[in-house]
Amino acid sequence: MAATSARPGMPESESESAHPELGAPTTGPPKAAPAGRTTASQLAGWALVLGLLVICLLAPKLFIPSFLRTLSAVFMFATLAQAWNIIGGFTGYPSFGNVVFFGLGGYTIAVLMARSHWSFWPALVVAVVLGAAYAMLIGIPTLRLKGHYFAIATLGVAEGTREIVLNVPKVTGGGAGITVPAVGPSATTSYPGNTGFLYYFLALLVVAMLAVYAIARSRFGFALRAINQDEDAAAAAGINTTRMKIAAFMVSGAITAAAGSIYAFQQVSIYPDRLFSVDITVLMVIMAVIGGSGTVIGPLVGGVGLQFLSEYLRQNFTDYHTFIFGAIIIVAVVLLPEGAVRFASETVRQRRLPIMDNLRRYRL
Amino acid sequence: MTAALETRDLSVRFGGLKAVDGISVTVEDGRVLGVIGPNGAGKSTFINLITGQIRPTRGKVLVAGRDLTGAKPWKIAAARVARTFQINKPFRGLSVRDNVAIGAMFGAPGGGSVAKARGVADEVLERLGLSGVAELGPTELSVAHAQRLEVAKALALRPRVLFLDEAMAGLRPAEMEPQLELIRELRREGLAIVVVEHVMRAIRSVCDTVLVMQEGRELLTGPPDEVLADERVITAYLGQRYAERQRAERAEAGGSGPAVADQVGPRPEGETRAPG
Amino acid sequence: MTPFLQATVYGLLQGGLLALVAVGFSLVWGVMNVVNLAHGALAITGAYFSWQLHESLGLDPVLSLVVVLPVMFMVGYVIQRGLINLVVNAPIWMTLLLTFGLEALIVNGLLLAFTGDFRSTRTGYSTNTLALGGVRIPYARLIAFGLSLLLTVALVLFIRNTKMGLAIRATGMDRTAARLMGMNVRHVYAVTFGTATALAAAAGSMIGLVGTFTPVVAGGYTLQSFVIAVLGGLGNMWGALAGGLVLGLATAWGALYLSGTLVNAIAFGILVLVLIVRPSGLLGKPYYEARAEA
Repeated sequence: MAATSARPGMPESESESAHPELGAPTTGPPKAAPAGRTTASQLAGWALVLGLLVICLLAPKLFIPSFLRTLSAVFMFATLAQAWNIIGGFTGYPSFGNVVFFGLGGYTIAVLMARSHWSFWPALVVAVVLGAAYAMLIGIPTLRLKGHYFAIATLGVAEGTREIVLNVPKVTGGGAGITVPAVGPSATTSYPGNTGFLYYFLALLVVAMLAVYAIARSRFGFALRAINQDEDAAAAAGINTTRMKIAAFMVSGAITAAAGSIYAFQQVSIYPDRLFSVDITVLMVIMAVIGGSGTVIGPLVGGVGLQFLSEYLRQNFTDYHTFIFGAIIIVAVVLLPEGAVRFASETVRQRRLPIMDNLRRYRL
Repeated sequence: MTAALETRDLSVRFGGLKAVDGISVTVEDGRVLGVIGPNGAGKSTFINLITGQIRPTRGKVLVAGRDLTGAKPWKIAAARVARTFQINKPFRGLSVRDNVAIGAMFGAPGGGSVAKARGVADEVLERLGLSGVAELGPTELSVAHAQRLEVAKALALRPRVLFLDEAMAGLRPAEMEPQLELIRELRREGLAIVVVEHVMRAIRSVCDTVLVMQEGRELLTGPPDEVLADERVITAYLGQRYAERQRAERAEAGGSGPAVADQVGPRPEGETRAPG
Repeated sequence: MTPFLQATVYGLLQGGLLALVAVGFSLVWGVMNVVNLAHGALAITGAYFSWQLHESLGLDPVLSLVVVLPVMFMVGYVIQRGLINLVVNAPIWMTLLLTFGLEALIVNGLLLAFTGDFRSTRTGYSTNTLALGGVRIPYARLIAFGLSLLLTVALVLFIRNTKMGLAIRATGMDRTAARLMGMNVRHVYAVTFGTATALAAAAGSMIGLVGTFTPVVAGGYTLQSFVIAVLGGLGNMWGALAGGLVLGLATAWGALYLSGTLVNAIAFGILVLVLIVRPSGLLGKPYYEARAEA
């Protein structure tokens, strides 16, 4: 212990309080060298995105159907991670209940299509609007909370909402689930199939990426980052922190609801336990964080990387895959606390792997 | 003429503690009010009450005659009241320029685009001699520059009332002078300024009026020289013992030299969470 | 009237047990600001531990605590020392993710080892009940309740009266100061987590005694711990006891009057309500007023 404290050039943090984030919102560590070098890595990032986009557009001709489904899931989770990134990464409010918008979107689609015989597209619009509205509704009380309190309040809202959905079987089908009319005469919108859903999810991912890209450069994005780093100072600088936080939550909720809508249509039959699963929330968070929360590219990297990994594990280690995935989460959190994107740019900058820096950063 | 800032009987209680109790001040345009007092006297809480971080339990806050009692901080900022924080609160992930640009983006009525705000930020940085560090992160700054950055962030709001909460803390004497000169310059431009300070030299050289607080209440208000020589202030600041000793020394010297010492007050590092 | 009385008694007994599950969770949260999502999984590990001892050695679940408590303390100590200490200073979602990973690891490990079948530690007195004016109380429930109270009180005494307890409290209040006073914070944290783990495991043993369990229910216990900790106030052990009883009662009464699984929504309802109305808990001091001169 003495040896680590005495390490030269690594001074102990000055104001090391036991509860650093009770008073102030959680903030990332100081991100060195703002601006400047970013353009090069940004360019590389967008080149990558463009390359992937081309491959994706050609995908139906290149890949077998099961891979197309995997690819759909990859796009969906990248979208979800990106949506979480808006409220969790940029604003610094780690929602652990974002799945509630996913489930809400899915059930909106299912109920409107199955019970009211709507077709998919108008139902999607309603789902997105409802997602945003629900985010506002729960955001008004919960966004006054900070840190763990916010995280768990949102988790509670998600679990509570699932229970409600479970207990109004007349509308939602309860635990037995609900089935979207996808084929036959009762189908209101023809089922798009693997290729169709691939494009739906891809389009949504592109929308999410562009939205976050635009937010990152706008006044809105500046406000969110300011709130993340010091909410009191942000308010003193004239930022209506309440309104901005709620707006961020609404954008996040709307995108997540859209993803849930497409997912429900794709699955045809949906169940509360699946659509409101905490695991989906955790996947969003872990993908955003491992990729690099608060960055534009990070959630894409995390979402694509982890979802492929998860699929690979599922297919090759069927019995152990969740076990291994748990271990991977642990290792990733310890080794990549800043996310892969920042890890990569630090590696390039310092011309060495900053693994030990990462280990030292947050340890006691 | 209405004063730029007025408080009437401003008070707040935390449980049983009266952190600020019945403070009434008036600050005209182009005037500087100093607020001094021992630790835990309620100075920072007084500012927090005016700028909306804490809601008062009694009393009024008027900015240019407009009642802004208990308004949210951003409403206060929109009324062109800006502040610094005793503990610097830079936006650590943003460059120095963007730190300042935030204020210009949201504080100024109507706001501005990111590019426009950065332009304003550059002007402010230029004026405060921070242009050279505009691209750095706030954690890379020296203490003097970090203190200046806080002032720059406040000035980006184009304020008519400015609160400086210990803007001299941690500065060497040589570094203080430019900061003081800046305050004088802003006063000449017509800003109403409230300075909370432990550095008595600063208080004496820039303030028109000094409010002395003790245990949340007003102990005394008056011109700096008068206030700083007052027995009660010396006692409040230095404690009974020291006050007596100083009185004895002064009697010995037969003069009326500087009363409260010209140094930083007897203040432990980081007066953070005081009462309540 | 009798169903109501029966529900009330059951609610209180279950509440006491839940309090023991939650007290360690609350302690860890209060002292090191870590919300341990693996807490329920550690409790269930304790349940399997006792169950296995009973199956293979015929050890009574109460007696098995002699083994379960020290072993699970060591397990917790090692987890904190080797893992959680590595990210204690990170933004909160990092510790949430880490402990979630841990939960996935433990739950799936248990599933691989014991399958997902429901288990229950059956003892000679499992089916005996005490009839009290129309209310029937299984002896196992009474034992579990008594033991829960006993261990919770023991924890309070430990924290209040021992040198290590003082170190834990001091570290929770101000880590830097504790360090300056020469305390080995890493060790103190590990002891805190070890204690929490041991108590959770003991609660798990009792869960097995009074009912059934499977690895999958771990998350539910974590969530209930959270509700109780929030209700009682962070790190407040009497608060955890009170919170446990409140939750137990609310759930029992809810089951009486509400249909289906809507009773589960009660816990979340209480949670969200308390967070919003009184985030410092029923017994805690308001946190946000502490920002006077921040």
